[in-house]
Parts: sequence; C-alpha cells; structure tokens
Amino acid sequence: MTTLDWVVLFAWLIFLVSYGLWRGRGSDTVNQYLLAGKTMPWYAMGLSIMATQASAITFISTPAQAYTDGMRFVQFYFGLPIAMVIICATAVPIFHRAKVYTAYEYLEKRFDAKTRSLVTLIFLIQRCAASGVALAAPSIALSVILGWPFRVTTFVMGGLVIVYTATGGIKAVTWADVQQMGVIFGALVLALVIAISLLPSDVSFIDAVRLAGEAGKLNVVQTRFDWNDRYNLWTGLIGATFLMLAYFGTDQSQVQRYLTGRSIGQSRLSLLFNAIAKVPMQFFILFIGTMVFVFFLFVRPPLVFQPVEMKRLETMEQYPALEARHERAFDQRQVAARHLKDARDSSTRDAALAEFRTAQMEMDAAHRDALQLTGANDTNYIFLSFVTHYLPRGIIGLIIGVIFTAAMSAISGEINSLATVTVIDVYRRHFRRDAPDRHYLLASRVATVLWGLYAILFATFFVHGFGALIEAVNQVGSYFYGTMLGVFVLAFFVKRVGGNAAFAGALVGEAAIVACSRLTSAYLWYNVAGCLVTVAVAWIVSLRPVTAPR
Amino acid sequence: MPDEERPIPDEPPPVLGTWPRVYAFVLVYLAVVILAFYIFTVHFAP
Repeated sequence: MTTLDWVVLFAWLIFLVSYGLWRGRGSDTVNQYLLAGKTMPWYAMGLSIMATQASAITFISTPAQAYTDGMRFVQFYFGLPIAMVIICATAVPIFHRAKVYTAYEYLEKRFDAKTRSLVTLIFLIQRCAASGVALAAPSIALSVILGWPFRVTTFVMGGLVIVYTATGGIKAVTWADVQQMGVIFGALVLALVIAISLLPSDVSFIDAVRLAGEAGKLNVVQTRFDWNDRYNLWTGLIGATFLMLAYFGTDQSQVQRYLTGRSIGQSRLSLLFNAIAKVPMQFFILFIGTMVFVFFLFVRPPLVFQPVEMKRLETMEQYPALEARHERAFDQRQVAARHLKDARDSSTRDAALAEFRTAQMEMDAAHRDALQLTGANDTNYIFLSFVTHYLPRGIIGLIIGVIFTAAMSAISGEINSLATVTVIDVYRRHFRRDAPDRHYLLASRVATVLWGLYAILFATFFVHGFGALIEAVNQVGSYFYGTMLGVFVLAFFVKRVGGNAAFAGALVGEAAIVACSRLTSAYLWYNVAGCLVTVAVAWIVSLRPVTAPR
Repeated sequence: MPDEERPIPDEPPPVLGTWPRVYAFVLVYLAVVILAFYIFTVHFAP
C-alpha cells in the first residue's frame, strides 16, 4: 500500500461515517431510531438489503471460490427472486399492517408469547455468533494483508460501526449502506476491467473467456441432481428458495430494512430490486474470479497466497524442492494455455487440453503439499493477493476500503437488528412494559453499543481462523431458519393452527433438521426439511380435538 | 399524529399496472437468466 492508497482508504472511511451520522440526525423517537419513521424510499432500502447481505467475505471469498471451484456458486442465488416474490405478496403487507417493530412481535399477535419468545431466542442465538464472525473474518484477512495487528483492524471497524449505528439508528445504517453499495459496484467494475487489461497483449477478452471455460471455471449451471452436492440447479431452486424465504422473511436483520418503507409498495420495490439485481451481481463477482484465474495462467501465482504462511514456508527445508516443482508446473501450464488458445482444430485442441490438465494437476498438487506443510487455508487470500500486488496505486486503497465498509455494513445491520429485538421482544415485553418513548430510545442506543462491544470482544477473543468458521456459521443459520420459516408459514397461511401447535411444530422441526444433518452435508436441504416438518406437525397437532374446560 | 398511528399506504407498481404482473415479470426474468447461463455453460464447456 502506497501513501495514495492510505489516503484513499482513510478518506473513504471518514466520509462514510460522517455521512451516516449526518443522514441519521433527527432519530429522536423509537420509531425514527428503529424504523426511520417509515419514510425510506425503495432504492435506499433495496441497496441496504443488498449491503447487509453482502458482507466483506462476499468480496474476499466469492472471486476466490470461482478461482478454485468455478462459477457454480451463482446457483445458490437462483432461489432469491422466487423468495422475494413470495415475501412481497405475503410478509410485506402483513408486517406493515400489523404495525410491528420486529417480525417476532407479530408472532405474539398471531399465536402467543411463548412462540414469540422461542423464535426470538433462535434469532438471538444465531445472530450472536454471526455478528462476531462478520467482524472477525475480514479483520483477520485485512490484518494479514495490511500488516496491522488483528486487534487494531477489529477495533477500527467495530468502533466506527458503533459510532454511526448507535447515534443515527437505522437511518444512518441505511444511508451509509447506499453509499457503500455505490462504491462497491464501482470498485467491482474497476477490478474486472483491470484484471482483463493486465492479461498479456496476445490474449484477448474472448481468449480469456475461452481459456476459463476450457479450465472448467464457467460451470455456471449444473443440471445433474446430487443430494450431496451443495450447489446445483435443484439445490438453488428448491433449497435456496427456502433459505432465502427464511432469511428475508423472518430474519430481523432483513425484515427491519423493508419495514422502514414509506409504503407497502416501496418495500415491495426494494425487495424486487434485489430479485432482479442479485443474481447478475453474483455472476459478475464470480466472473472476476475467473479472470483472476486466467491472469495467473500467465503470471506465476505464489505457492501459498497467505503472505505470513508463505514467509514461514520459505524457512522450511522442503521449500526449494516444492517451489521448483511449482515453477516447472506453471511453465508447462502456461505453454499449454497458449497452445489451447491458438488451437485451430479439434485434435490440436484435445492434445493441448490434456497437456493443460496434467500441468494444472501438478500445480494443484504442489499447492496442496505447501498448504499441508503450513497447515493454512489460503483460499480467502487469493483475491486480496491479486488486489494488493497487481492493481494500480489508489485503486488498492479503494478496494481495501470497500472490503472494510462491506464488513461494516453487514455488522451495522446485525447489531442494529440485535438491539431492536433485545429492546422490543425482550426488554419491553418481559421487563419494562409501559415506559416513556425516551426510555426505549435510550435503551435502544445502549443495546446497540453493547452488541457492538460484544461483536468486538467475540471477534478478538474467540475467533482464531475463518475458513471453516464461516462455513460453520452459514450452517448454523440453516440449523434454525427452516423452523423459523415454518412458524411464519403457519402464522400467515394456516388459520386453524394456534400457539401450542406452532410451538410443538417448531420443536419437532428442529429435531428433523438435526436428523437431516446426519443424512447430508448439503445444508440448503435443512431449511426445506425444518420448514415442512414444522408445518406438518403443527397442522397434525391442531387436528386434535379441543377438550372443553371443566 | 404520532408516527405509529400513520396509516400504511398501499400503492400500485410504477410499471405493468398490477403487482401480480410485476411478480410474473420477475419470475420470467429469472427463467431467462437461468437459460442464458445454461447456454453460456454449454457453449464454454471443455
């Protein structure tokens, strides 16, 4: 990072926090602080929903996922437009007309206090861990890349988020998200353009796309059904639809965004904006990863992308042999890639492809051996390594700033929703029912600060690595979302089901998810199983004849 | 009137006239995107 990069990075962070504080002024009632007085236009809500969902890891690990596994991850988002349409037609008008602050408040109106409390508890448990990891994961990556102590990056990000979220409430969060998404879009386009422009002069854009295809990276749609495969057309259309329904329809971090809309129509438009934009956006981010892969066909990548582990590897006695093997395989792969690019007939192409695959396997083997020696997982450093080594001055600072603020937008959304649920569903419901508005406003600000501090402390002391942990947090979500969705499906559509039946359904639904997790590791299916079992059990329980009181 | 008392307006979509038509448009759009991705995958498959 040069001086210019540091200037760009800090200027962006200072602007963002100041802008959030400025837009968040006037949040002096609970309704203003938690729901922005229901005044938000659709585009602000739509971009905020997108920003809350897209954490820093989206920008760090999604291109890396395309680099290693191809573009098939985009199928994970195929369920999103379907879910958005269903939510627009059902949840949005119901929540708006119920005049609630949280989705769980509605459950008491429809069922009873214990069902509300159960779902509130489920939300708090899963979001607790997620908020810490959302802060820790980018902190770890950025501290390695910037050479800062991990705690410094954690405190900088966490501290800035607390300042504007606690002061300006959801208005500050939403308007800061709007700025962030604007810059994120711009930075992504720049990253792609630069990745393509860095290709050798004899490799055109079409050549690059063809090479990515030959390397198997453009596997966007996989139609073959496999129960254990996490990402194919069917898990995307069925499993992900349930996950997205649960996430956008029952998770307060998202529900709160569209409850700020000045009308039902504005809230619907914000969700439909995501329905239209999200899939192409993910395709675009993954495509950047494939272009980074093609770039590294002609420029030798490091043996290990994680710089600290790479330095450690260099001190090991196996390093020289491993490095020589990696270099030899890279040279062979580069020659094969050029043969593949220039192949004019099928026999030349087949020979070049076989040569390419052999060299690729040898490179992968050398990389794998290096990772085994260091015990590291470097996937999440691939894109960061490309950015910091090959992008022009100033742009590096911008991209690092984008990653910082992507983390901040996800965390601000999470602590804001955690504070809302804590105050509305726990404190006001169970401890202090009839206090004046000013009291709950103060409680909301205090809860925001406390949840922010919790996220910092959790990230600092309990998170030590982030490869497996991110996956674990995603899976933890899928352990609960199915049940939450099932309860809301009952609330919206099955009139005969009451509180006891819904509560029983939720408990059995959780047991079904645990059973399902033993059958398959493809966690998207847990959402389907949890929801269907919750609904079925509650419906069966509701058929039981009611005994008249004596 | 306090914020909480304000009625929540429902309004027609800015395009296509009714919300069901907008929903149908989004689903058709998804089908077209998936089809385009599928053709892209097949075209560039090794």
